[in-house]
Amino acid sequence: MRKSSCRRGGTPEDIRMKNEEEASERPDNTAFTQQQLPAWQPVLSAGIIIPGFLIIGLAFLGIGIALFLTSQTIQVLEMDYTGVEKDSPCFRCTSPSNQTCTCEVTFSLSTLFTGPVFFYYGLSNYFQNFRKYGVSKDDYQLTGDTQYFKSPRDVCFPYAHDSKNNPIVPCGAIASSMFNDTFELYQIINGTKKKVPLDGKGISWWTDYNIKYRNPLPVNGSFASAFDGTVKPINWPKAAYELDLTDPNNNGFLNQDFLVWMRRAALPQFRKLYRRITEGDYATGLPAGNYSLTVYYNYPVLSFDGRKKVVFSNVSWMGGKNDFLGIAYLVVGSLCVVMSVVMLIVYAKFKFSDDDDA
Amino acid sequence: CFSSSAAAHIGVGISGQEGIQAVLASDYSFSQFRFLQRLLLVHGRWSYLRMCRFLCYFFYKNFAFTMVHFWFGFFCGFSAQTVYDQYFITLYNIVYTSLPVLAMGLFDQDVPEQRSLEYPKLYEPGQLNLLFNKREFFICIAQGIYTSVVLFFIPYGVLSHATQSNGVPLADYQTFAVTTATALVIVVSVQIALDTGYWTAINHFFIWGSLGTYFTILFAMHSSILFNIFPKQFHFLGSAHNTLGQPVVWLTIALATVICIAPVLAFRFLKLDLKPQLSDTVRYTQLVLQKKQKPCGRVGRGVGGG
Repeated sequence: MRKSSCRRGGTPEDIRMKNEEEASERPDNTAFTQQQLPAWQPVLSAGIIIPGFLIIGLAFLGIGIALFLTSQTIQVLEMDYTGVEKDSPCFRCTSPSNQTCTCEVTFSLSTLFTGPVFFYYGLSNYFQNFRKYGVSKDDYQLTGDTQYFKSPRDVCFPYAHDSKNNPIVPCGAIASSMFNDTFELYQIINGTKKKVPLDGKGISWWTDYNIKYRNPLPVNGSFASAFDGTVKPINWPKAAYELDLTDPNNNGFLNQDFLVWMRRAALPQFRKLYRRITEGDYATGLPAGNYSLTVYYNYPVLSFDGRKKVVFSNVSWMGGKNDFLGIAYLVVGSLCVVMSVVMLIVYAKFKFSDDDDA
Repeated sequence: CFSSSAAAHIGVGISGQEGIQAVLASDYSFSQFRFLQRLLLVHGRWSYLRMCRFLCYFFYKNFAFTMVHFWFGFFCGFSAQTVYDQYFITLYNIVYTSLPVLAMGLFDQDVPEQRSLEYPKLYEPGQLNLLFNKREFFICIAQGIYTSVVLFFIPYGVLSHATQSNGVPLADYQTFAVTTATALVIVVSVQIALDTGYWTAINHFFIWGSLGTYFTILFAMHSSILFNIFPKQFHFLGSAHNTLGQPVVWLTIALATVICIAPVLAFRFLKLDLKPQLSDTVRYTQLVLQKKQKPCGRVGRGVGGG
C-alpha cells in the first residue's frame, strides 16, 4: 500500500538541485555502459558459406593431389630383422646367450634408389612415450653440470645408482635403454663386398646438439676425468666418454646417436635416423643390385614382443613417404565440395519455396 | 512481499517513496515499474543468451582439450603421459582461451535492444529453456569429443611416418605436443569466432590477442634464454622452431581445423535455412535494413534503430 505523502513542488532552487542530484545518480551514457559499442555482426549468409566451402574443397583437392603424387615418388624399403622366424637371418642372435652376435641381411634393389638415402632403425611395441620412462632423466647432468654427476636426481631411480651405490652418469631409464645395434652396409659387386659409406653427422636436432646437451668440461685436460667417481649405465657396453673416441665432437653427451635416442618418440612404433648415405659413389643414390647389411645385434626386444627393423627412404619437400596426408586432403576436399553442392541445393529449394509462399 | 521474492527465480524491487526494504531483499532494483520491460526483454534475454553460449563453449573447449589425453592413453600404455607441455596445460584455460569467451559472455547480442522490445516473443526461448538443456549440453560435449578425436588422430596419422625435409623424423614427443597444442588453440579460437555474434573492438582484441599471445609464449618458452636459466623446467628447447617450420605440420593443422569446423559451419547454415528461429530472422532483417540505410549517412554505428 502506498503511503501517501504530500510533496509540494518546491522552489526553483529546489527543482534545480533535484535535477542535478538526479543527473549525478544517472548511469553513464557511454557506448560501453549502454552496450551500444559499434560492432560487426556476421551472418552466415549463403553468399559467403557456399563459395567458401567450394574454394576450400578445391584448394584441399589440389593440395591433396600434390601431396599424394609427391608421396608416390618416394621410395621406401623396410626390413624386419628381429629374427622371430626360424629361417630369418638373425634368428640365432635372439637367444640370450649370444650377447654380441652378428647377422647378415641381404636384399636387392631392382632400380636406382635415388639419393640422398636416409637409413633409419625402427622399433615397434616400444613405449618411449610412457610417462615414468619419459621423466626418468637428469636434465642438469646432461647440460654438463658436474654437481649432479655425484648426486643424480631422484626421478632417475632405479637407474641412478648401481649396486655399489656409485652414481650413474647419464642416469635414468631413457639413457639406460639406448639402442646399441650397429649396422654396416655393403654392396655385393661380382661376389666382393664394397662398403657403402654412412654419414652420421647432424642427424639430431641442431638445438639438441648445440644448446641443450653439453659435455662437462675436461678435468686436467682429460675428458674422461670429468666422469671420475661415476659409473656408466649398467646396460651400456662403453661409458659416455667412450662413445666415439675418434671424434671429440661426437663424444660424451654430444654423441649423435645418443641425442637421437634421447629425443623420445611419441608413439609405440617409431623410426629414428641412423645414418645418411650421401658420400662417395653413392651420393646420387643406391644403384640397382645386391646388398648385404651386417647387423651387430645387441639390443634385445623379444622379451616384450617388440620388433626391430631397418628402413631406407629418400625425402622430398614434404619429408618422407606419407600417404595419409595426401589421402586425407583428397577426402576432406571432396567432402567439402559435396557439402557445398548440398547446401546450394538446400538453399535454392528454401529460397524458391520461400518466394513461392510470398 | 518477502515470500514472493523467495519463491521466484529473480526478485525485483522498486525503490520508491515507501523506502528501500524491498530493494534490500531483491536481486535487481530500479526506480520505476516501467523499467521491468527492459529488464526482462533486453537485459534478461541477453543474459540468458550469453550464459548459454558461454557454458556450451566452455564445456566444448575443455572436452576438446582433455579428451585428447584419453585417446593418447591407448598409445602410451595408459601411463597418464600428457600430450601437451605442462606449461601449455597451465596456461590454456587461464591465458589462451579465457578472454575471448569472457568477452562473448559480456558483450554478445543476437538482436539489438530496440528489436528485443519490439518482438517480445523473442523472450520465449528463455521461458522454454531452449538454449541450454540436457540435449544442448550433450551436443556440446559430443562436439568436444569429436574435436578431440580429430585433434589426436590427425597428427597421429600424419606424424607417425612423417619426416622433416632433412630426413629427421617428426614422430618425436615434443613435435607431437606442439602440433596438437597449436591445432587445439587454433580450432577453439575459430570456434569462439563462430560463436561470437557481436564483434566489438574488445572481442577482436581478445580473440586475435589470445592467438598472438599463444605463439609469443610458445616461442618464448622454447627459446634458449629460458632454457639456460631453468633447464629442467623449459626442456622443450627448440621444439617450436623445429616443428612450426615444417610445411607438413601446418598442413596437418589446417586439415584438423577444417575437419573440426566445416561440419559446424554446414550444420549451422542448414539450420538457418531449414529451421530459422525468430531471433535469426529478426537479426537478418535488422542487418539488411542497416545495409539499406547506410548510404543515408548512418555510418560507424553497428547498432542502430530501424
